[in-house]
Amino acid sequence: MRRIIIRRLVQIIPLIFAVIVMNFVLIHLAPGSLFDVMTSEQQITDPKMLDQLRHTYGVDQPVSVQLAKYIWSVMRLDLGYSYRQNAPVFDVIMQQLPATLILMLAAVGIALLVGVTAGVLASIKVNTIWDNLISLGAVFFFAAPSFWLGIMMTVMFAVKLGWFPVGGMRTIGVDESAFGAVLDVMHHLVLPATALGLFYAATFARVMRASMLEVARLDFVRTARAKGLSGGRVVLAHVMRNAMLPIVTLLGLQLGTMLGGSVVIEAVFSWPGIGSLLFDSVMSRNFPMVLGVLVLGSLLVAVCNASVDLLYLRLDPRIKAR
Amino acid sequence: MLTLFFDFVRRFARNRAALVGLFLVLVVVGVAIAAPWWFPRNPLRIVGRPEIWPFMSSRYPLGTDSLGRDIAAMIAHGARTTLLIGLCASLTATIIGITVGATAAYVGGWVDELLMRLTELFQTIPNLIFVLTIVSILGQKIEYVTIAVGVVTWTPIARMTRAEFMSLRDREFVQACRSMGMGSLRIMFGEILPNALPPVIVLSSLVIAGAVLFESAVAFLGLGDPNVTSWGQLIGDGRTLIRTSWYICAVPGLAIMLTVLALNLVGDGLNDALNPKLRDR
Repeated sequence: MRRIIIRRLVQIIPLIFAVIVMNFVLIHLAPGSLFDVMTSEQQITDPKMLDQLRHTYGVDQPVSVQLAKYIWSVMRLDLGYSYRQNAPVFDVIMQQLPATLILMLAAVGIALLVGVTAGVLASIKVNTIWDNLISLGAVFFFAAPSFWLGIMMTVMFAVKLGWFPVGGMRTIGVDESAFGAVLDVMHHLVLPATALGLFYAATFARVMRASMLEVARLDFVRTARAKGLSGGRVVLAHVMRNAMLPIVTLLGLQLGTMLGGSVVIEAVFSWPGIGSLLFDSVMSRNFPMVLGVLVLGSLLVAVCNASVDLLYLRLDPRIKAR
Repeated sequence: MLTLFFDFVRRFARNRAALVGLFLVLVVVGVAIAAPWWFPRNPLRIVGRPEIWPFMSSRYPLGTDSLGRDIAAMIAHGARTTLLIGLCASLTATIIGITVGATAAYVGGWVDELLMRLTELFQTIPNLIFVLTIVSILGQKIEYVTIAVGVVTWTPIARMTRAEFMSLRDREFVQACRSMGMGSLRIMFGEILPNALPPVIVLSSLVIAGAVLFESAVAFLGLGDPNVTSWGQLIGDGRTLIRTSWYICAVPGLAIMLTVLALNLVGDGLNDALNPKLRDR
């Protein structure tokens, strides 16, 4: 088991290496550099100071040296310095990362809860009005852009009904106990997490329905029924457990899309995570930050993918036997 | 050949949802084609009082936005942008995907290994973050958005093509071609590809829907081409007014949703019609 884990983790290394090289290429594709932005924004005007900065950043050296230096610095988690936040890129990203992780986890939770429930319901009541309604809902949420869903939910639940806050992560100016703060964040989390999660819930519902129907035909289910187990127990403990496997695969595959989706959702709800940071950095052409987000985002997805694979191994022992 | 086509049409038409989808797609295509005649002047032009609600004025059936621009005109012209970007991005993704997948499966060995690692790389990179990075680095041009979307959506097509090629590569008809002395390229694209194409076409049609969603997200964030009307951009512009005039966001959002929905339904229909073996699932 440990060997499998190590092998799976080692597979990440070339991946991250490739992301770093690609990043470097992207930096050099960029027309205009950080220095142009800084001079145009009147942050620095002295040409001597500029030369000094070029030297500190090593821009005056050959490309191959720059690449080697860049790889080496990224390996040490040194992603550069952001003048906008006046802090190292890595620190700024790490500061914003928890908010994004909370949002993604909540969205995954909602997607799994809603999607799996809907899929199981649809498969139990297959070809009835319930099944059709759930399929219809899935088709709609599969097509709705998440940011639009978020805005419409804001209009409905925040502006018209006033149930939830319009945006942000904490109520400003309220100093609460730890428990109160958690409740406050959860209150702010409902709308963005739902807006992000419903798209994936739609996917999960469709896959879960198909997978439930397929598993329900297998022999071991007939055996379970023949043993005299109740219908509910067969569905929950036998069919559902096995039908969950494709959902786990799908979840792993979609984590990258989800991280991307959270960028837009964070922009809609002014959620103070990586997405807002990326958006701000793209707007201000803060390339070290943009590329830092790309590298760390890819690393995050790679690690999550590996964990999903390992989870899969636990859920389905047949894989280990191969 | 003709009977095959009729067979295809019959199977497609059996799926009623797909017919609805096809109808909607044709409506959107019709609007996109008719836009320059229907609304001959620049849709970004200010035409009247700002914030007229839909159905309140006969001149502006879908109302006007915060600047007093005709929403109906912007929706009609936006349909052109949406479809164009969707189609071109899907085409880009299909070409990259087929090339990578076919080469990987046909050549095999270390080339296969390398190309599959490359596919994995592009699957790992958070796709919207990559698109935003490319657009922010190369500039806010419609071509760059299209290419960026194509570059992040080719991976499923490559995997599908590879799987199909794998199963076809050693069939008798391919061996026959080889023994006739046919070149590799001709076998790959002239003989194997036509047989591998049906599931790939289905995926490509679904990629169009995904590309439309991507484009709308990029435009919504204000990173699309500022000189081209787009549905996502309209939502982004109207976002500041949701307290008073939420219809500015609602109308283009509905347009995006219906288009994506229709494309998905057509994709499902194509799947039923082209892969009859899989229909029962």
